[in-house]
Amino acid sequence: MKTLVGLTVANLKSLTRDRAALFWTLFFPIMFVLLFGVLFSGSGGSKVTVGFVDQDGTTTSSGIRDALAADRSPLTLQIGSLEAEKAAMQNGDVSAVIVIPKGLEAAVAQTRTGHPASVAIQLYTDPSQTQTTQVVQVAVSSAADNFSLAVISGPGQSAVLTVTQLTLASTNVSTVTYLVPSILAMALMQLGVFAAVPLVQQREKGILKRIGATPLARWKLVASNILLRLIVAAVDTVLIIGVGIAAFNIQIVGNLALAAGFVFLGAGAFLAIGFMLASFLKTEEQATGVVQVVQMPMMFLSGIFFPFAFMPDFLRSVARLLPLTYLGDGLRQSMVNAPQVAPMAVDAAILAGWLVVCLAISARSFRWE
Amino acid sequence: MTQSGEPVIAVADLFKCYGDVKAVDGVSFQVGRGEVFGMLGPNGAGKTTTIEILEGLREPDSGTATVFGMDISKHAPSIKQRIGVQLQSVSLYPRLTVTELLDLFGSFYNHHLPTKQLIDAVDLGERARARSMELSGGQQQRLSIALALVNDPELIFLDEPTTGLDPQARRSLWDLVKGLQAKGKSIMLTTHYMEEAAELCDRVAIMDHGHILEMGTVAELIGRRFKERAIFFDTSLKLPAEQLGKLDGVTRAAVEDGQTVLYSSEVAGTIGALLALADSLSVEPHNLGIRQATLEDVFLDLTGRALRD
Repeated sequence: MKTLVGLTVANLKSLTRDRAALFWTLFFPIMFVLLFGVLFSGSGGSKVTVGFVDQDGTTTSSGIRDALAADRSPLTLQIGSLEAEKAAMQNGDVSAVIVIPKGLEAAVAQTRTGHPASVAIQLYTDPSQTQTTQVVQVAVSSAADNFSLAVISGPGQSAVLTVTQLTLASTNVSTVTYLVPSILAMALMQLGVFAAVPLVQQREKGILKRIGATPLARWKLVASNILLRLIVAAVDTVLIIGVGIAAFNIQIVGNLALAAGFVFLGAGAFLAIGFMLASFLKTEEQATGVVQVVQMPMMFLSGIFFPFAFMPDFLRSVARLLPLTYLGDGLRQSMVNAPQVAPMAVDAAILAGWLVVCLAISARSFRWE
Repeated sequence: MTQSGEPVIAVADLFKCYGDVKAVDGVSFQVGRGEVFGMLGPNGAGKTTTIEILEGLREPDSGTATVFGMDISKHAPSIKQRIGVQLQSVSLYPRLTVTELLDLFGSFYNHHLPTKQLIDAVDLGERARARSMELSGGQQQRLSIALALVNDPELIFLDEPTTGLDPQARRSLWDLVKGLQAKGKSIMLTTHYMEEAAELCDRVAIMDHGHILEMGTVAELIGRRFKERAIFFDTSLKLPAEQLGKLDGVTRAAVEDGQTVLYSSEVAGTIGALLALADSLSVEPHNLGIRQATLEDVFLDLTGRALRD
């Protein structure tokens, strides 16, 4: 145990004293978060699509509809039944659902005849989507207030139209919120794949051979490498999510234990890929080149920077072959409830498959000198 | 040094091939406790392969290799606790300091010496906090020896410890090895420097093409082949080689590195005859000298090529 800790500390020191390695493992992903965060958080000017359910079906209710859909309103309405719109919200197609209840026109008529009555708009929003929810709430309550003021005759009278807040979890995820778990997935991928380089370097320099001449058991050498990368994975995770929260106010709403599971499973799977690469590469220069060839296409074809749903079909079938697609998907689902590419169990199973297969290949093919 | 008790290394009929190349082709030898044993030979002779089998880094194809009486292929972990190893041209974790590396390697063993003591032993006190990448070639080599001593080993393997070092650094390393020898450590080293083997080794094995050609003390090796002494001078075409071979007392004539060498069992007579021959041809042998035969001569005689080829 003491040996294992000592070796891991030695590896950690080697890593932290290597400026280039430090840049790639820690600062590069954070740079990405900041860069993309700034790029995409500016897109708040566009309209928010909400579901509109008209249960009253009168000219009064269509008046409210027109007011909400007016040019200067921040909302775009999608009209449908309550079931359809709630489903749309859960799928992330609309950000909120506005329900005008039956009896609106009747209540207005009663109020006008001196018998004050009141009905409430039911507004379904997702509290995790702070920004959008706020926009919708403001728009709907001001529409309700304006409507009431037009109907009632003077102060002291209670409002004829009020708003009842209801919550419904949606899967509509803002761009930054989508990106943060994606960039975390990218960082974990790079962390694992890049592990091939120091391994090849240590073999080329004869460090592995020299350690082979000591009584140190080889499994400890392997274990300390894994331990090192998992520690860095944890640090990366905290930094990336921390920057996401601090700079862009992203909301982590998913299951944290599940997310942590994906972080370690993903780090493990890509580390196994790194070990496998190290088994077949001979020189450090070769390793640096091949590692880039492996990680670059994965970075851009795995739905990290744009949602899977936006990809053309042929890219989607490429993405389905790449392990990073499933790590990104698993992290997004477990952290921010993003729409899925595959069920989380499938994501986990595919990552575990890569882990086992690559580790088995490495165990057979890895050369110590 | 004296040999006593059972040998620390015993090798019998060792074979190791890499593809078609027979790197080690039937090697047998023993090293006694407290002895400095050297393997001398050109690059590719099989020295490193032999030593790496003994260090537990390679499996022989056949033959037996025992260290401390234990079969290396069966007891490698317990043998590794008791041996010190310096590999040929190894660089270490470049970003760790001398102290950190010694602490780290110490942690691999059940027992290890205090780092301070090791640093002092190889005279690296001023560079204790330097990263290994910042050390000079000689300092790196001394660090590499310190790492080989970290577990206070009974037997130390040094694979070409001075290759690539300047003469001063080589001298200081020789002193270090002699110090270890004085402490009663058994040492097996490889080198392709004849003077290094002559300076440090109690016994030498001359190796080429995977075979041990000759083995013994330096004096034995020379005496066994050369009862004669060598008379040498700059090669001149005007002295016909067939006549040189027939001069009084000459047993053999050879041309080595631009010098003609006459091996003579009767030096005075040979020189007289040589000068008379030169006089009769109106030439004068330049840089004429006499020396004892050296290991280099033994090696040339055995293999027909110079050690450093």
